[in-house]
Amino acid sequence: MGTLLQKRWMGMPVVGALLLSACVTINVYFPAAEAKEAAREFVEKVIDESDKVNMKDANPKDATRKQGGGGMASLDRRFDFDPWILLGIGSAHAQGAPDITIKTPAIQAIQARMESRFNGTLRGGFDSGALGFTSDGLISVRDAGKLELKDRVGMNGAVADDNRDRKAVYREVAVANGHPEWESQIREVFAKQWISSARSGWWYQSGSGWKQK
Amino acid sequence: MALLALAPAQARVAQARIARITTAAATLEQVRVRLHWPADADAGTLELWAGRVHAPGMDIAYQDMHWRCSLQRSARNGWRCVGDLVSGRGKPMRLAVEFDAADTRAVLGRGNGTIALRRSAATPDLTSLDLTQVPVAWAQVLLARAWPDARFNSGTFDAKLKVETPAKRPLRITGPVTLRNVGLETADASVAGEHLGGRFAIDYRITPARSLISVDGDLRGGEFLAGNTYVALPATPIGLRIDAVQAGNQGWDLPRIEWRDGAALRAEGSAAFGVDANLRSLDLSVHSADMAPLRQRYLSGWLGLFGMGATDLLGAMDLRLQVRNGRLAAVDATLHDVDIRDPQQRFVFDGLEGDVRYSAGALVDSTLRWQAGKLYGLDFDAARLPFASENGTLRFREDARVPLLGGSIHFRNLVIRPPQGDAGADIRFGLVLEDIDFGRLSKALGLPAFQGRLSGTIPNARYANERVDFDGGLSMQLFDGRVAFTSLVLERPFGTAPSLGADIAVDDLDLLRLTEVLGFGKITGRLDGRIDGLRLVDWTPVAFNARFITDARRGVKQRISQRAVQNISSVGDASFITSLQGRLIGLFDDFAYRRIGIGCRLVNEVCAMSGLTDSQPSQAGNSFTIVSGAGVPRLHVVGFNRQVDWPTLVERLAAVGSGEVKPIVE
Repeated sequence: MGTLLQKRWMGMPVVGALLLSACVTINVYFPAAEAKEAAREFVEKVIDESDKVNMKDANPKDATRKQGGGGMASLDRRFDFDPWILLGIGSAHAQGAPDITIKTPAIQAIQARMESRFNGTLRGGFDSGALGFTSDGLISVRDAGKLELKDRVGMNGAVADDNRDRKAVYREVAVANGHPEWESQIREVFAKQWISSARSGWWYQSGSGWKQK
Repeated sequence: MALLALAPAQARVAQARIARITTAAATLEQVRVRLHWPADADAGTLELWAGRVHAPGMDIAYQDMHWRCSLQRSARNGWRCVGDLVSGRGKPMRLAVEFDAADTRAVLGRGNGTIALRRSAATPDLTSLDLTQVPVAWAQVLLARAWPDARFNSGTFDAKLKVETPAKRPLRITGPVTLRNVGLETADASVAGEHLGGRFAIDYRITPARSLISVDGDLRGGEFLAGNTYVALPATPIGLRIDAVQAGNQGWDLPRIEWRDGAALRAEGSAAFGVDANLRSLDLSVHSADMAPLRQRYLSGWLGLFGMGATDLLGAMDLRLQVRNGRLAAVDATLHDVDIRDPQQRFVFDGLEGDVRYSAGALVDSTLRWQAGKLYGLDFDAARLPFASENGTLRFREDARVPLLGGSIHFRNLVIRPPQGDAGADIRFGLVLEDIDFGRLSKALGLPAFQGRLSGTIPNARYANERVDFDGGLSMQLFDGRVAFTSLVLERPFGTAPSLGADIAVDDLDLLRLTEVLGFGKITGRLDGRIDGLRLVDWTPVAFNARFITDARRGVKQRISQRAVQNISSVGDASFITSLQGRLIGLFDDFAYRRIGIGCRLVNEVCAMSGLTDSQPSQAGNSFTIVSGAGVPRLHVVGFNRQVDWPTLVERLAAVGSGEVKPIVE
């Protein structure tokens, strides 16, 4: 957080910073940048087909389990080396700076399910234009006419299932990070990320209407 | 057509322009006729143009129609003309017209589809229409009149229709219609059908003031979707009868609806729609003698939305539905030995019997009973739910008692407010738990065989937005001590990753009985502790702040067995420090201790371990004392890793519980 703040302050003209500080104070305790990074990691894994294999191989938990390591040994491998430790502020970093984690088993189980649902069912709906990302972080059937009737019931069910999972993820990410009150902010960050990670040609809600990316 | 008779046979070319020709069935405007008949030829060429053709009262209109045919004399002093008919830019159709003094016959066709029309001079008001393999798209104009948003996508039909066009009486179309493979859809795709087949007798009457349609026959296969209702029609025929009336531009009234799907579903009733095509009122009686096919045929769309698409329904039921002014006014459901079973075993209700009645107005009472049930693996016994309903809420008119695991749960003051508009269901109730066998609960939940009786009072519980909050708390006697549960919260009870939150206080547990049950070795003494902020997701702990410490009591011996020392050391990643040489520890079965204390704060899969707070600092700064020994030989157990990977810790605990950890003496 220290590095981030410094970068932010140094890169920002003073006048602009003064003007923005009014807005920033609202979310002063919400780690927006970390949340965005966590959301990006989550969303890209669900949406991105090509990275799928790499992501699975890179799962650190599996690696440590296989080696039978435990205790501190496995912990060491879970975290990258932090240069701030050299300056003796490593512990402060861990306690004071909010970090957004999405690595709880519950969130990862939901993520895996969303990923397989996305590849199995939803992707086709987005490609055909039947589905769209809503502005509140959910998905919706925006044009059922793009689907064969036989697929429509299954798609409605998949959309309902996915929205249940999405709500659970936003809630669990907030709770897992010790701030249930962040749920709506987490949801906003994810909503933006789904749209930003959407592939070209997919639809998303903008204002009262739908736009194609 | 009468015009033809005027065309003089001797002329080579005759032409005529007529502004308007009106017949009972259709009106032609801007008409031009040209007849070319070469001298001495057997046949002439007739051409007819019409700028606009429309059928009064039926919104049927064609633009720029052109018919060119070869005109010949026929028997009985009649005429016959056969040729291609083109309307606008459409594909040409073949039109053959033949008439004589007695009959008029016309056959219009394209591909395999033909429409044959016949009218006798003796009965000028009666026209027979014989349609064979006609694409339903040709009837689009009729559909558009009854249902402006809908369009046909595919399918053909046969029909033998009588069209009566008597002066000063309604236009009437009657006869059998056979549909094959029909697909239709509304513009917003909210209603759609595919592969629909059936055979119906139709009766359609139109006056300027109102339209009446009666359809009576069988649906044979296909599927349709209306909103979230998906109906997959079985191969067996389904009897369908609908009478519909539309007065002027008002909404449709359906005074009679009948649906007969064998034993699975029989429905009878009436409905009325507003001008905006929204349901205004409905009265429906439904009977299902065998509910098993309902899920697949009628309920898959709705159940799927709630993540319960695979729920099995068995038994028989009656249902009465009443909608008034677009709002649900009353529901009476009567169940006859119904079983509801979730294949994922989240819930099971067996032998449901009785009724549930909902009223948006006056008070109605009902009573539902079940023989047995299961909720997340917990069996419960027969119970009786006494419902009362008025003004849109459903409540218990007296407390309901559900026997559970040797004790019982009482539901007090239950009030259910069904979902309305955007607001989801809201359920409020109080709970009293009496004497529930925690041993059976532990077994059902896969916990170690804890023995105890659970009881408590939750004065107010509320379910809303997929979350149940419980005021008050539960407590139980366990291992001669007490365990109290407070701040209970259940999120998404039947949804994605169900989550349970609680604060737990533990007081004065008999450690000997606890450790025996856990297979942990033997520790004597008493244990206090707290687990604050416990959160289980998918019934697995993801966060808590737990701390346990022994409570010294006069007259209570405090000893710890060697095996327990080994297990604590193994689980806590700790070492023991003793006044003895390591190998000599093996000579002792147990040791006296002063205090034992251990804490774990679980966050993000990492348990931050702690020990006794008053322990003397040992050589490593980060260490903490778990067991502080007493007497001789004196033994301390000290932990060095404050941060422990939670899954690893759980694996070790499981190994201890199953006795896989062998004491190792260094």
